[in-house]
Amino acid sequence: MDDRSFVAAQDFLLSSKTFWTKQIYEDLKRIYEDAVARSGETPTTPADVAAILEGDTLYRYFAWLERHLQRLKYAGRYGLVPYHDERRSVLAPPLRDTGAELSPTLEMPSYYRRVDIHQHPGGVFSDELDGYVYERGARSTTPLMGASHADLHHRFTDLVAAQDAERVLYGRILDMGCGFGKSTQPFHEAYPDARIDAIDLSGPCLALAAHQAPSRSSSKVRFRQMNACATDYEPDCFDLVTSTMLVHELPPGEIEKLFAEAARILAPGGRMVHLDFHAIDGPFARFMHYGHGLRNNEPFMQPWAEMDIHASLSDKGFTNINVIPFQEAEGVDLKNHAAWRFPWTVIQAELKTGG
Amino acid sequence: MRISDSLILDRPEQTFFADPALDRAFGVVMALATEVYVQRDRVRALERKLEAAGIIDRADMDREPSEDERQANAEDREAFVEGLMINLLGKQQAKGAS
Repeated sequence: MDDRSFVAAQDFLLSSKTFWTKQIYEDLKRIYEDAVARSGETPTTPADVAAILEGDTLYRYFAWLERHLQRLKYAGRYGLVPYHDERRSVLAPPLRDTGAELSPTLEMPSYYRRVDIHQHPGGVFSDELDGYVYERGARSTTPLMGASHADLHHRFTDLVAAQDAERVLYGRILDMGCGFGKSTQPFHEAYPDARIDAIDLSGPCLALAAHQAPSRSSSKVRFRQMNACATDYEPDCFDLVTSTMLVHELPPGEIEKLFAEAARILAPGGRMVHLDFHAIDGPFARFMHYGHGLRNNEPFMQPWAEMDIHASLSDKGFTNINVIPFQEAEGVDLKNHAAWRFPWTVIQAELKTGG
Repeated sequence: MRISDSLILDRPEQTFFADPALDRAFGVVMALATEVYVQRDRVRALERKLEAAGIIDRADMDREPSEDERQANAEDREAFVEGLMINLLGKQQAKGAS
């Protein structure tokens, strides 16, 4: 396919997703609120919302579009996968010698192999071009943010750094589930003297991260293929462990391992900060978010959203645990947002000194 | 790579309508809509190139067509509409076995 046709098709799909994000979502919310007002009963659970909406025609189109616009984006005739596949001979060779520390024998966990995350055919780990596909796809994950999607990572890093005004606390940083490096670079910019290790299960994503990193020549940043739930690091060797949009992709048992591993490798008093989806305001938003997880092939959204984070982290020696809604862009009203949005949340905690 | 290369054979289809036929038909609609937009984008690109080369005047092209031009297009337009709408009549065009 030619580049013009690919871009036109992807733009069309993105505009359709934007219409879905605003007009269809807003109408659906109105239908729901009108139904609640008529019934006089206040829904308290996602099941209550489902009883109201699941038979509604607009909801059916909402759900269909959520699943199939993503399918067309990745695997349609003008999809990300065939587009990059046709350019393999140009795109692949530079990814084969990037400095990323890959472990070709690393076993991919069953949950990772079993479901093609985000409807990315084959997942993000099975083809050497998967990093490119994921990177291009991520540009339009949040239609209303457009080009400012990258700002999200800087906003997150700024939030973390704001609690360390002198930039002295974090000399050793671990970025878990770094993907193609979108979250790593802002930390490197905020902490240019820190040693940053960025790890991920996906070799193709790490290769792209290392290939594209402006800091490629820097000895401060390493991209390493590893399972964040079972790393090869010695105890007490990081001051900050962070992740961005990783935790919700893990089944509950793996999340427990992830937190335990963070506790093991953090120095006493070290901090763990994750940007993810967790603080969900009300049954309507919860119903929408759980549905998104199922339709977008992210099956652990619900168990993660219902997990008792405080209990889990306390058990592992963390203290000062905070779970706070995160404003992903300037001007977003976290309580009264008219358009569809992810329930962005920051989860942060400190490892007890001597814990 | 063919689209069929990515078909998953061992997972059930996610459906959202009472009749799965509508799920699939709407997939056809969206695939066609994507093609239409790709063609529309190409025509506009072509018009820009032709105008830049001094071959066409886009403002002239955008003007309402003359009655003569509309009439000249009428036969083609009616054939197009018939081909589209005749499907709604539910009539056979070859004798079916019964």
